[in-house]
Amino acid sequence: MKTFAGNLKRGEFVLYQGEIYQIQKADFYAPGKGSALMKARLKNVKNAKNVDFTYKSSESVETVDVESIEMQYLYKDTENLYFMNERTYNQYTIPYEVVGDLAQYLKEGNNYFVYVHNDEPLSLRPPASVRLKIIEAEEAAKGDTVSGAKKLAKLETGVSVMVPLFVKVGEIVAVNPETGEYSERVKE
Amino acid sequence: MKIQTHIDHLDSYRLYLKIIAATREYLNGKKYLEIDLPVLSPALIPESYLEVYETEFRYFDTKKKLYLTPSPELFLKRILAYGELDCYSLGKAFRNSEPESKLHSGEFTMLEFYKMHSSYMDIADELLGLMSHIASKLYGTNHITFQGKNISFAEWERMTVAEAFSRFADIDETDLFDGSRFMEQATKKGYITTGFTYEDVFSQIYSQEIEPNLGVRGYPTLLYDYPKEFAALAALNPDRKTAQRFEFYIGGVELGDCYSELTDPKEQEQRFQGEARKRRETGKSDHPIDKGFLEALKYGLKECAGIAIGFERLAMIFADISSIDALKLISI
Repeated sequence: MKTFAGNLKRGEFVLYQGEIYQIQKADFYAPGKGSALMKARLKNVKNAKNVDFTYKSSESVETVDVESIEMQYLYKDTENLYFMNERTYNQYTIPYEVVGDLAQYLKEGNNYFVYVHNDEPLSLRPPASVRLKIIEAEEAAKGDTVSGAKKLAKLETGVSVMVPLFVKVGEIVAVNPETGEYSERVKE
Repeated sequence: MKIQTHIDHLDSYRLYLKIIAATREYLNGKKYLEIDLPVLSPALIPESYLEVYETEFRYFDTKKKLYLTPSPELFLKRILAYGELDCYSLGKAFRNSEPESKLHSGEFTMLEFYKMHSSYMDIADELLGLMSHIASKLYGTNHITFQGKNISFAEWERMTVAEAFSRFADIDETDLFDGSRFMEQATKKGYITTGFTYEDVFSQIYSQEIEPNLGVRGYPTLLYDYPKEFAALAALNPDRKTAQRFEFYIGGVELGDCYSELTDPKEQEQRFQGEARKRRETGKSDHPIDKGFLEALKYGLKECAGIAIGFERLAMIFADISSIDALKLISI
């Protein structure tokens, strides 16, 4: 399918230099000399790298039909992560290098959204937040009341993040898997 | 579209008002006369890349098309020709087919000021003085911080358009000023050129490869001498390849556009016809050409220069915010 660059919207998938990218933002821009433009930030779905590109707003852009399908994360080995579509029982494989650091926040048995194009898995849609249990953390030193102070805590998937001093082992925290930032303590 | 109220923008709005006050104080102090202008006009300057808002005057069976002015230039040039006054206007300008974005609004505030017996580089000096004055009124300094970077108003970083294309886009002067060679270079870089004009592709490369590098090395950047295709209402340089036009940038954001004004009525009329033809070809609203503007040039426009500044963008820089929206208490 083709569309005018001037109609591009955040979240759409396009073909750019032969690869599939997702539009992160698309801002109209009219320099008042020559064509009106669309300034886009594109994210390569395979390597998550961002590219800024300025389209002419009346330029034709190839859009790509990409579905986001909920799947169960089964397991990983040294090279790949394995997912299953629970409706069709089809299994999908995504290389580790595509998922990148996000893999450290994924818990086997949990459901995540996988981007699929022509029944081929492209990558994982990063969840806005993941909820994981703390398995190791330093005890807060008594009297340490500096506001905003943080300590290191190890989550059940093995990754370590900075959390506020009051958070304890066994508690569940919400973390942004793209930045590794703690957002809040949550109830089970 | 929906009317939105943003009381949380009150702090930046107050700063915006201070910037307006500092601007008026500076220009009035330099004896520019502020001109209060209409926003409706029965005829306009034809500009091939602008779409306009149309409306209508109605009285019984009389109907007369009116247009919201995309810039106050058509009015101010009359004041310059008949009055020979240094003057300015700070008011609303309207551009259709421009959706809201971080740096765009279909209705925006434009500052235009004109100086008699001057060229574009005299305006550059005046402009630096204006920005210094605003910085000193706001912060008591001759510099500001925009998105973590220090910008000093002690001087300009000056660069010609040809230098910028060579430095940032690796397109040399010979290719820049030769339409077909330029399009060849663009195709090699991967830009789509089929079905587009030199102006379109120039604009795309300019925005993609040049603009992010302007106004990012400690000083505002003055980019000057545009290919004659972008002369609009500007006088040409003696080389006849470039126009006496500059644009200025801070933090990669284009803030304004200045010319040494074209004073030759014959050449202006020819350019108008060319622009009007392009408007028809691209299906833009076919508004009447402002003949009175050409009359004013025939009466005699002395050497002068002027600049148009997107005032919300300038204020956005001084307020150190990244969207013009954040200055507004009410938006649609």
